Amino acid sequence: MLHYVSVNIDGAIIKAPKGSSVLEVAIEYGICIPHLCHVPGLSDIGACRLCIVENITDGRSQVTTSCTLKVQEGMVIRTNTDRIKRLRHNIAELLVAEAPNSRAIQDIAVRCGVKKVRYPFRNSNCVLCGRCVRACAEIWHANALGFVGRGKNRHVERPLNMREEFCKQCDYCVQLCPMTITPCDGPMKPGEEYLCGKCESQLMITEEVPDSCAWCRLGEGFNCGRYAGVKAVR
Amino acid sequence: MNLSKLESILKGRNSQPHQLIEVLQDVQESYGYIPEEAMREISKTLGVPLIEVYRVASFYKAFKLKPTGKYVITICNGTACHVRGAQLLLDQAMGQLGIKPGDVTDDGMFSIEHVNCLGACALGPIASGNGSFLHHMTPAKLRKFIETIRHEETEEVNNAKASHERRPGGHRETASPR
Amino acid sequence: MPKLATKEDLEVIGKQLLLDRKKINKTIIVCGGTGCKASHSQDVIEAINQELTTQEMDSSVHLRMTGCHGFCEQGPIAVIEPGNIFYCHITPEDAHDIVTRTLQNGEVIERLLYTDPVSGRKIRTESEIPFYLAQDRQLLSHNREVNPCSIEDYIAVGGYTALAKAINSLSPEEIIHEIKVSGLRGRGGGGFPTGRKWAECSEASSDEKYVICNADEGDPGAYMDRCVLEGNPHLVIEGMMIGAYAVGATKGYIYVRNEYPLAVKHARFAVQQARKLGLLGENILGSSFSFDVDVARGGGAFVCGESTALMASLEGKVGEPRPKDVHTVVDGLWHKPTTLNNVETWANVPSIILNGANWFASKGTKGSKGTKILSLTGRIKNTGLVEVAMGTPIRDVVFNIGGGATDGKAIKAVQTGGPSGGCLPVDKFDLPVDFDVLYEAGSMIGSGGMVVMDESSCMVDVAKYFLTFLQDESCGMCVPCRLGIDRMLEIITDITEGRGTLEQLDLIEELADTVTQTSLCGLGKTAANPVLSTLRYFREEYEAHINNKECPAGVCKALIEYSIDPEKCTGCGRCTLACIHGAISGEKKEPHVINPELCQKCGICRSECKHEAIQVR
Repeated sequence: MLHYVSVNIDGAIIKAPKGSSVLEVAIEYGICIPHLCHVPGLSDIGACRLCIVENITDGRSQVTTSCTLKVQEGMVIRTNTDRIKRLRHNIAELLVAEAPNSRAIQDIAVRCGVKKVRYPFRNSNCVLCGRCVRACAEIWHANALGFVGRGKNRHVERPLNMREEFCKQCDYCVQLCPMTITPCDGPMKPGEEYLCGKCESQLMITEEVPDSCAWCRLGEGFNCGRYAGVKAVR
Repeated sequence: MNLSKLESILKGRNSQPHQLIEVLQDVQESYGYIPEEAMREISKTLGVPLIEVYRVASFYKAFKLKPTGKYVITICNGTACHVRGAQLLLDQAMGQLGIKPGDVTDDGMFSIEHVNCLGACALGPIASGNGSFLHHMTPAKLRKFIETIRHEETEEVNNAKASHERRPGGHRETASPR
Repeated sequence: MPKLATKEDLEVIGKQLLLDRKKINKTIIVCGGTGCKASHSQDVIEAINQELTTQEMDSSVHLRMTGCHGFCEQGPIAVIEPGNIFYCHITPEDAHDIVTRTLQNGEVIERLLYTDPVSGRKIRTESEIPFYLAQDRQLLSHNREVNPCSIEDYIAVGGYTALAKAINSLSPEEIIHEIKVSGLRGRGGGGFPTGRKWAECSEASSDEKYVICNADEGDPGAYMDRCVLEGNPHLVIEGMMIGAYAVGATKGYIYVRNEYPLAVKHARFAVQQARKLGLLGENILGSSFSFDVDVARGGGAFVCGESTALMASLEGKVGEPRPKDVHTVVDGLWHKPTTLNNVETWANVPSIILNGANWFASKGTKGSKGTKILSLTGRIKNTGLVEVAMGTPIRDVVFNIGGGATDGKAIKAVQTGGPSGGCLPVDKFDLPVDFDVLYEAGSMIGSGGMVVMDESSCMVDVAKYFLTFLQDESCGMCVPCRLGIDRMLEIITDITEGRGTLEQLDLIEELADTVTQTSLCGLGKTAANPVLSTLRYFREEYEAHINNKECPAGVCKALIEYSIDPEKCTGCGRCTLACIHGAISGEKKEPHVINPELCQKCGICRSECKHEAIQVR
C-alpha cells in the first residue's frame, strides 16, 4: 500500500509516494534538476552534488542533495534559486575542467550555465561518479570493481584479477559511464581542451526554460532519469 | 606465507563483516602488511566481497599493501611539528635514503612513513624508528640515527658472514685462508 | 575485590580505599603519559622503583604512575607529596637522589626544579608554576590522582559515585534536564548542545540504542583526548554510562584512533576492570540499568572523526560520511539511534551530576559554559595541555600560560581549531575562548588545538599546509571537497611559487564558498576556513606573493634564495656535510658558497650553522 505525501517544489504542490526522493519526484513531474551520479534503480549517494536544492524549514533554508532527501509531508523545496544556480554552476565548472572529454559532462556544464572555465583543464578519464561501482554491486551483485584509495588517490579499479574472477560481462558499467560518450568532434588532445556546448543542448535552453524539462537530449548522454523515462535499469 | 597466524586471527569471526577493520589490524600487526592471500581468506570467512576488503585495506593509512622496510622511519607532520620544521626531517630522510614516503630502499632496510600526528606535540619535531619516539629531532640527529642503524646492520651482516666462514666445513668462495 | 552489587557496596569500598591511601603519607607521582614516555619516563619509574626497594622504603612511599600532566616539554615529570614539590627533566640516574634526599629527608634538589623561562627563577612547587597557576584544571587535575590502570585509585577518589547517584536516584529525564541547564556543548569541535542531543536520542523509539565515545582526535597538534583517555579512562566510561542511562542505550563503543596504542590499552584494561567489579554488565549497582562497552580501533583516517564516517568504520566499512538529512541520534550506528560525543564531553558529565548544572554553568560565558582543554603548541615558551574557563581571552592563554614568544621573534597569529579552524592575528587576541565568538571571527575552538605562530611562519604556506592535509584526508566521494580542495590547493601553490594573480584571489574565495555550502560532510564544509581566515586577516601577505613575488616570512621556497654571508662564515664546513643536495662548496676556514642551481632551499644547512651565516631572502 503506497502512502502519499504532499510536497511543494518550486511552488507546485505534488503528491509524492512516501520513500521516494525529492529528485525522483521532481524529474517525474518535469522539473529539471541536473544530476550525474543518480541512476534510476540504483542507490543514491549524493556524490556529485549537482542535484542540490534548498530545503526550507522554519524560515531557514538548507542546501542539500535532492537525491538523498526523502519526501516528507509539507516539505518546501526550491530547485533553482539564484544561490542554487551559482553553486551548481561552480560544481559543473569543476567537473568539466576535470574531464572535458565527455559529452555528458560538457552538456551538464552548459545546462548549468557554464560559459567560461576558470581553471586549467585536465584530461581525467574518470570523474568518480560511482555509477559503474554501484551497478556492479547492485544489479548482478558481481562486485568485480570498486573504489580504491582515498582523497586525491581515490580511483576505480579491478584489483587482483577480479575482472576474470567475478565479472559477469553484463556491460552495465560501460553503458552507464558518462565518459564513454564522446563529443562529436572526437577526443580532445591534452593541452587543447575547450568548452564545447555545440551539440543539441544549446545555451538557449538554459535561458529560455531554466527549470523545466525540455527533453533536451542532454539526458541522452548519461541516462537522465527523465530521458530514460520509466525504463528502470533493472 | 605462514597461514597459521591468519587462521588464529580469523577464528571465531565467521560471517561477521563488521569485524573487517579489527581483522585487518591483526593481520597488519602479524605480517607487517596485508598479503593478497590474506585478503581472499578474509573475504571468504567474514562474508565480505573481495573488492570491499581491498577497498578498506587501501582506504586506511594503518594498512600497507606492500611489505615495509626492516626499519620504518615515521616522521610526524602535525601542525606543531610542521611549525617546528618537520619538513626538514622529511627532506633529510628522503635525501639520505633516496626514497619517497611509502617506498622501501632497495636493500629492504628502510622505509619512510609520513603521518599526520603522533600526539606528542610539545616534544616536536618527532620522528620514530619502529615505534620508539625520538623527540626534538634535527636533520643532523636523524642523519646520525639512520647512519647508526646502517652501521649496526652492516656489522651484523659482516659478523654473520665471518662466523659462517669460520665454521669447520663451511662453504668458502675463495681458497684464501681467514 | 568482590563484585559491587549495590550503591552501598561502592560507598563502603570507596571509604576503605581512601583510608588505605591516606595511611601512606609520602607519594611520588611520575607521569607515564605518551609525551613523558617519549622522554623515557618508563626508565625513570623503573629506577625509582628499584631504589625504593633497595632503600626498603616501598611500604612507606607510594609510587604512582599517572597519565599526562600536560607540561610535556618538561618531562619526565615527578611531583612529590607532601610538599607539592615539582621536579622536571628527570633521568633514571636521579632516582637515588630523589629517594634518599627528598623522600627520605625532605630535602629539595635544586637542579631538578623547574626554571621559569620568563623570570629566570627556580620554582619549588607545582602550584606556583605560572603555567599551571593561570589554568583552571577541572578535568586535568584528576590525572595526578589516579593510576590509569587502577580502578581502586579511581574509586578511592570518588569514582563511579556520579553513576550511582544517576541510576539510583535520578530519572533519565532529570539527567537530560540537568545536562541541558548546565549548557554543556560538544567538545569535539561541533559545539552542539549536549542536552539537546541526548533529548532527541531519548525520544527516538527503538529496541536498541548506542552511545559512542569519539576518541579519533584527528586534528594534528591536538592531544587532549589522548591525555584524558590515557590518564583517566574510568572518568570517560562513567560519563558514557550516565549518558547511556539517560538516552536508553545498553551498549557503547569507544572508538580510538589507531595512532594512540596506549590509550587503547588503558581503555581496554579499564573496561575489563569495571566488568570484574560488576560496574559494567547486568543490573549495575543493583539497579535495572545494564550496559557494556567495547573499545574499537580506528584504521588511520582523519575523516573518521566525523560522526557518520566513524559509524561506518565501526560497521567495518570505509570511513565515508553519509548524508545527515536524518540525524544520527535517530538513524545512526546500524541505523539505530546513537548518541556520539567526544571524550572531553563525556568526561565532563560525572562532575555535572555530582555538583549540579548551576555549578558548571557558573563558569564561562553566556553561550559557552564550563572549561575547555586546549593543546597549546607552537612558537611559545611553555607548550603543552592547558585547561581554561570558557571566556578566557586568547591573550591570557598565549602570554600568561604560554609565556610569550620563544626565540625573541614577534608572535603573529594563533591558529585554533585544527584544519577546520582559522588563523587569528594578534589584534584579535582579546577575543575569548568561546564557541560563537571565535566562529564569528572566522575561526573556531574546534577540538581545542591552539598553535601559536610567529614571524617565521608564512600565512599562505599555513593555508597550503592545511589544504594539503585535507586533500590527503578527504574521503574523495563528493565533488566539491575532492575537486574543490584540489583546485584551491592548485591556486595557493601558484601563489607560493610566484605565479599567482589577483583574479585568483577572487576565484579562491568563490570556490571556498561553494565548497563550504555544498560539501557533504564537515570535513569539506570547513575545509575552506584556513584559506578564508588567512585571506581575511593576512591579505597583505597574499598580495606580496602575487604583486612582488616575495614571501615576507622567507618560507615559500620558490620565492627565496639562500646565501652565505662571507663576513659571518667561518668555513667550518658543517653546512657542506649537512647538505643533502651537494649544493655547498668551499675550502676549510674559507667562506663557503651555495650554488643556487643545486640548492633546493630545504633549510637543513641553516639549522646546522652555528654562526647564523646562512641568510634567506
